[in-house]
Amino acid sequence: MTEPFLLAKGITKRFGALTALSNVDLEIRRGEVLALLGDNGAGKSTFIKVLAGAHAPSDGQLLVEGHPVSFNSPKDAAAAGIATIFQELALSENLSIAENVFLGREMKRSVFGVPFLKRAEMKKRVGDLLVELDAHISDPSAAVGSLSGGQRQAVAICRALNLNAKMVIMDEPTAALAVAETRKVLELTRRLATRGCAVVLISHNISDVFEVADRMVVFRRGRKVAERLRDQTTPEEIVAFITGAHADVRALEKTR
Amino acid sequence: MINVLPRGAVVEKRELLLLAACVLAIALFAIASPFFATADNAVTILRNSVELLLISLGMSLLLAMGGVDVSIGTVMGLAAFVIGRLLTAAVDPSLAALAGILAGTALGMVTGAVVVFGRIPAIVATLGLLGVYKAAIYLALGGAWLSGLPPTLTEMLQVRIVGVPIAVIVIALSYGVIWLAMRRTPFGLHLLAVGNSEEKARLQGVNTKLIQFSTFVISGTLAGVAAVFYIGTYRNVEMTIGSTLALDAIAAVVLGGTSILGGKCSLLGTVLGVLLLRILQNGLLLVGVPSLWQAVVTGALLIGVLSIEGLSGRLQLKFAGATQ
Repeated sequence: MTEPFLLAKGITKRFGALTALSNVDLEIRRGEVLALLGDNGAGKSTFIKVLAGAHAPSDGQLLVEGHPVSFNSPKDAAAAGIATIFQELALSENLSIAENVFLGREMKRSVFGVPFLKRAEMKKRVGDLLVELDAHISDPSAAVGSLSGGQRQAVAICRALNLNAKMVIMDEPTAALAVAETRKVLELTRRLATRGCAVVLISHNISDVFEVADRMVVFRRGRKVAERLRDQTTPEEIVAFITGAHADVRALEKTR
Repeated sequence: MINVLPRGAVVEKRELLLLAACVLAIALFAIASPFFATADNAVTILRNSVELLLISLGMSLLLAMGGVDVSIGTVMGLAAFVIGRLLTAAVDPSLAALAGILAGTALGMVTGAVVVFGRIPAIVATLGLLGVYKAAIYLALGGAWLSGLPPTLTEMLQVRIVGVPIAVIVIALSYGVIWLAMRRTPFGLHLLAVGNSEEKARLQGVNTKLIQFSTFVISGTLAGVAAVFYIGTYRNVEMTIGSTLALDAIAAVVLGGTSILGGKCSLLGTVLGVLLLRILQNGLLLVGVPSLWQAVVTGALLIGVLSIEGLSGRLQLKFAGATQ
């Protein structure tokens, strides 16, 4: 097995007296879709916020490609190649697809010291990315406000890829989508992994997870209670882990 | 706000509509008053538009960015006071003009700092500053007009370059530079992104504070430039200087199609909006409507346009919902 892209060792996060995450070990590999599952308040959101640089862990260590890192802001995480696609997509609806993909990191040429946009090049690059992702969006100059929810997810994924993200965290990408759109976004998720990205997917939808994830990790009350390869588990077992009905979880929770 | 218009079109329907409104207004006033359709009156209308065109340019950026500045008229007033004082002290008119412009820039920085770093909504912050600046003008003037200023600046501004008045050149240059910045540089993209949603723009890596601050500085600088032309024309600073400018500018900009909610900007629309407003104000005066009614007309136009936009926006949403 190759070296994991990201290694989390003993990650703990306390908010005052509340322990939101307790001693979580996890490996995230390139080319793999890893699903994080768990009930509300199980700690998955806190965990991805630690990965995304939004929260500093109280304890434990993160290693990216074998090197210890400490993220003080989402910018640090982005610099390490980690991109987060939030459920409330951070896209500017009044700007075009191409403009959104490049916003904050535009291609420019300097004329007498004034940075001018290379619009044609940005449009072409985004057009190529959309074709590569098979996103079924023909015009990169269309306004994002005119797109459907699934298409917007595709734009957000394009943006992450364009920033050379090596790991993409997706928070409930299909939560608000219709069935056909969900299919498309799951395909995109799969394609990200095929391109060599490490993908972390948070979802409540067990059937979605079984469709795309290679590996699943279940969180419960701030702890990692299970880790399974898709081929070695069933939706019933995963649900039992999430709800705490599984014998392993009972045994684990008794020891605490 | 969802903008589904084709982007990149140079002239949109809104601008054509405004142009038609201008032509219609001109035709009606020409019939109603023998004094309207004369070369002299055309010059008067254009002359009266100079300050408003400059102030409205800054206001277009502010509204598109999701901000506003209701104190901008008094910023022009304070800059005009600086120029007036320097002229009476026999300072070289070009230096006095430069000092006025810099005064505008400095006040823009103050407004920008209060809004951005004080984290106060622009409408509230600039309303507070309006009170402060107004009092500053009263105190500076000491209860009397600054009048009978030496004509040095006025003479300087009489210069024409290849027959074109300096005011026209300055306005064309200002609009040209800002149009380029909006369409062709990251500044324009970032400004529109902030106008759409500051939070989302920040998450996308836009330096939102820098954009907001610099927009207020640009607007203040333009108010300083407006002050130069104001003094050049009127050669006095009165107590109520610039008091109608902010309302006029907001009305003209919104009329022109820039969104009051931010995220959309039309500079050509702003020019047409200013001209339509000034044509209406001039024409109504000539057909015998007391000048007291000017502000009523401006206010009614502003409210009218916004309610029509609100209504059509709701209708659009309704149809969009029906077709999905």
